[in-house]
Amino acid sequence: MSCNEFNRMAGAYLDGELPEEERRRFEEHLASCDACRTELAELKRLTEDLNMMRFKEPGDEELQRYWAGVYNRLERGIGWILLSAGAILTLCYGAFKIVEEMIRDPAISVILKVGVCALIAGLVVLFVSLLRERLVVRKVDRYSREVER
Amino acid sequence: MSENETALLERCRAGDRDAFGFVVKKYAGRASGAACLLLGCPHEALDASQEAFVRAWRNIKRFNTSSPFYPWYSAILRNVCRSRLRRRARRRTVALTDGHGDSSSDSDPVLLAERNERRDALWRGVMKLSDPFREIILMKHFHEMSYKGIAAALGIPIGTVMSRLHSARRALRETLAGESS
Repeated sequence: MSCNEFNRMAGAYLDGELPEEERRRFEEHLASCDACRTELAELKRLTEDLNMMRFKEPGDEELQRYWAGVYNRLERGIGWILLSAGAILTLCYGAFKIVEEMIRDPAISVILKVGVCALIAGLVVLFVSLLRERLVVRKVDRYSREVER
Repeated sequence: MSENETALLERCRAGDRDAFGFVVKKYAGRASGAACLLLGCPHEALDASQEAFVRAWRNIKRFNTSSPFYPWYSAILRNVCRSRLRRRARRRTVALTDGHGDSSSDSDPVLLAERNERRDALWRGVMKLSDPFREIILMKHFHEMSYKGIAAALGIPIGTVMSRLHSARRALRETLAGESS
């Protein structure tokens, strides 16, 4: 085993993740190379220090505030869904009424009517396309499966 | 996993928000710390970890209560943090140092338990690593995941886990050496 190979495997050795055969080769090299022994000792110190690090546990008051933040979001979620659905329905109805009035009005030129209809049709196509893209991306996104575990 | 937690999670699945409150409080510290490590900013970390809990609640029916909660939650949290990092990179509104938050204030190790000078320096060193390096250090050393578990969670081969960890630790050692000299 070369020193380069040793260095590459040193972390896995300390983590206990080397397969038996590689571990045996690793230890053979370790016994015969002073530089690698020093290298391993330094890496071991770093690894042990990292293993000792823990996140702070918040106090009761902090935890209460934290949970309140999550709870408020849970409640607001329903509010946002209702608000969005209501806004979409109202806007669609309003737009439909405006277009209907405009089409019936003989004073408005045909070109403008065609233009507005094309504008609305374009918006609908873009919206559907965007929605489809988001749904397809969500389906193939390799991270989305993680919520299913 | 304790019997208590299984019972709590069953209640969560049945829609009991109070039970979810206990679960949230149990993991809040770890979740905020992990998000801080991934995002490099304690304020955004708090927000991201809360958002991840909301997503966990919305998907709780898909969670298998016989398996531990935190690994499942942590996968959701990683997604939330990755999305934020992507958004941040696109917007470029945050002043970045080597791809993460301002190390002078945001990486202050306030979220670390049992602090001492060496651990503070180590935390600052970790915060200076690139996003994938910080992520793999978090999974190995804070979440104590096996190489197999990390490989499965990140969708990469075990060999890549080994080499990425090796590179992350080497980069960390170089950073610490640079800081002490």
